[in-house]
Amino acid sequence: MVIRKKTWVSAMSLTVVAAMALAGCGSNDSNNGSSASASGSTGASASSSASAGKASDAPKKDVTLTYAIWDQLQQPAMEAIAKEFTAQNPNIKVNVEVIPWDQYWTKMSAAAPAGTLPDVFWMHSGQFVKYASGNFLEPITDKVQAGEIDMNNYAANLGSIYVFNGQNYAIPKDFDTIGLAYNKEMFDQAGIPYPDDTWDYAKLAQVAKQLSQPDKGIYGFAAKMDTQGGYWNDMLANGGYIVSEDGTKSGYDDPASIEALKARYQMILDKSSPSHQQMTDTDSTEMFKSGKIAMIFEGDWRTTDIDGSDIIKGKWNWAKLPKGKVKRGDIINGLGNVMSASGKHKDEAWQFLKFLGSQKAAEITAQMGAAIPAYKDTQAAWVQSKPDLNLQVFIDQAADATPYPAGSKAYPVWFPKESEIMAQAWGGNISIEEGAKQVAAMMNQAIADNK
Amino acid sequence: MNSRSRYVWAYVMIAPTLLGTVLFWSWPAVYSIYLSFLKSENFGLVNHWVGFANYEKLFKDHEFWRNLRNTLYYTVLFVPLTLVLSTFFAVLLNAKIRGLSAYRVIFFLPQVTMPAAAAMVWVVLFARDYGLINYVLGTHVAWISDAKFAMYALVIVGVWGAIGFNMLLILAGLQGIPRALYEAAEIDGAVRFRKFRYITLPLLTPTLFFTSVVLMIGATQIFDSIYLLIGKTNVALPAVRSLVYAYYQNAFVYYDQNYGAAIVDVLLVINLVLTGLQFAFQKKWVNYD
Repeated sequence: MVIRKKTWVSAMSLTVVAAMALAGCGSNDSNNGSSASASGSTGASASSSASAGKASDAPKKDVTLTYAIWDQLQQPAMEAIAKEFTAQNPNIKVNVEVIPWDQYWTKMSAAAPAGTLPDVFWMHSGQFVKYASGNFLEPITDKVQAGEIDMNNYAANLGSIYVFNGQNYAIPKDFDTIGLAYNKEMFDQAGIPYPDDTWDYAKLAQVAKQLSQPDKGIYGFAAKMDTQGGYWNDMLANGGYIVSEDGTKSGYDDPASIEALKARYQMILDKSSPSHQQMTDTDSTEMFKSGKIAMIFEGDWRTTDIDGSDIIKGKWNWAKLPKGKVKRGDIINGLGNVMSASGKHKDEAWQFLKFLGSQKAAEITAQMGAAIPAYKDTQAAWVQSKPDLNLQVFIDQAADATPYPAGSKAYPVWFPKESEIMAQAWGGNISIEEGAKQVAAMMNQAIADNK
Repeated sequence: MNSRSRYVWAYVMIAPTLLGTVLFWSWPAVYSIYLSFLKSENFGLVNHWVGFANYEKLFKDHEFWRNLRNTLYYTVLFVPLTLVLSTFFAVLLNAKIRGLSAYRVIFFLPQVTMPAAAAMVWVVLFARDYGLINYVLGTHVAWISDAKFAMYALVIVGVWGAIGFNMLLILAGLQGIPRALYEAAEIDGAVRFRKFRYITLPLLTPTLFFTSVVLMIGATQIFDSIYLLIGKTNVALPAVRSLVYAYYQNAFVYYDQNYGAAIVDVLLVINLVLTGLQFAFQKKWVNYD
């Protein structure tokens, strides 16, 4: 009996130790493996292909940079850019690290005070002020003034998003707008013409109703509870706003905003859209990908993802968002590449950052269809990356789109709370009007607390 | 070996664990108490002493009381259920049956499954429209997005994950009960249930006591299944949100570590009190021979 007990205990401890060892080895292995193979292949090809001028340079110290991004769909393109960069700078390797959006800012907020931010990483306009005001980002103003990089190379004045106290911090990477994705097959079967420029929200609601067959689990539209890819566009189109232009007041309790929110929610009540609970169980874009939804608002960044679905490939397209009472609402956002102020290899990081802002990097981004590059006149290649899809709508809508309502210290505070309150409204626990008013009060409080 | 060098040797042996415990458990616990009296800015690089302000805000916060109620409700459901089921399976697996080790492995599997992977499977099982659970039961319940059921879904997942390990602890306890006692009972004519009631259960109480203390502390810290199964846009979240979930939200999502620290410090006090009570009442039911 005693022996049996011991066997169990030792078996248990063995399991635990083995699990820990495996976990440890696993991560080490993959790191070593990838960097070793990278240095092996690119080192060789680079030394053979490097220009004579480069080869005559004094041997430089080998450096490995970390480049953190949050979108796995863009990983191949980012790795291609990193590889191209290493080919030109054989002594600098770049590790592309993907941290999913949900954990990205949690991790960055822990890394910032610890001084362990990645050398170069993606920045979002909503988080930018917090990091810039804390001096965690390396200003690049002197590099811009020295002419090492020209901010006029980037479309739609995107560089201005990442200016704080007169200092430049980021090189624009890309921009994104929202479009209306539709399932052509479902329109054909119902004999309804595809969405076009003339559509307004009334037309959207009407067609969504026509295309819905709730008893079969098929819906015309996904009236999802979403901000950038959802009701923010509705609110703007209806003459409402998200945050006042001076950044001091929430627009959620504006009558036009509430009207837009109600109109979207009405589509769930009309059974033109799945319920909030259904969309919590299954992501609405996944439903669109499996042919259960005829129309959905989505960002251009989901193009590759949606097109990767065998069920819907070749049977869908993009259109512009519908027009509202006042205008066509559309949120434009631009990501930036930034570098850490506490990185160990700032010179090399700057070299890489500069390369990320180059025309070559923009072309790789465009050709691989990863995102709409910010670099001027490289967007056409992105539009051409999937010729059977009308990607031009995203470029056209950028002209009069509204910038993502970030750029304040309050944004990171109110944004996550917004979805918690709106979930109660979308789930039917409180009215839409009540939810909107609660969000407005919460946002105004956050703005007051984070001046 | 003299006694002195035996002591030194013993401390050397426990040093790695001790160091790890102090560095990664005790120190953060103490530091979180300090944090709860501050107002931090700029990711914690600038701090102001604010006294009990965070606690005042906390006790006036309706959400906090609701989270506390959810946490205790989960604990009250989870701990007894896990104890009873773990004991039940441990007794079954203590018998001599064919394929015993296979059964033990099966029941232990949830313990070695990654919680995130398991949660993904549970999400599919619980789904309202195509979920296997609704299919088998013939119901149409939104298990994880209906406020009436979400807590039970969490308890099911929690108990499922906890049985394996606790069964193992109890099994070890069972195997420590001398066989001679059962033989004596058989001679006296005791039947199966009476043997369990008058021999197994009393001699198992030290193990059950230990297990219940550990389970309770674990249950009050429920977080991962809420994060993975329920998620932040779920309408049922307020009905299941625990203290630790609220802590995570405040500390890492709203960037208010100080308020978050106040929440977990309250939880720390609650756990100390509950554990203290359990130790105080153990005389009433625990048999140490």
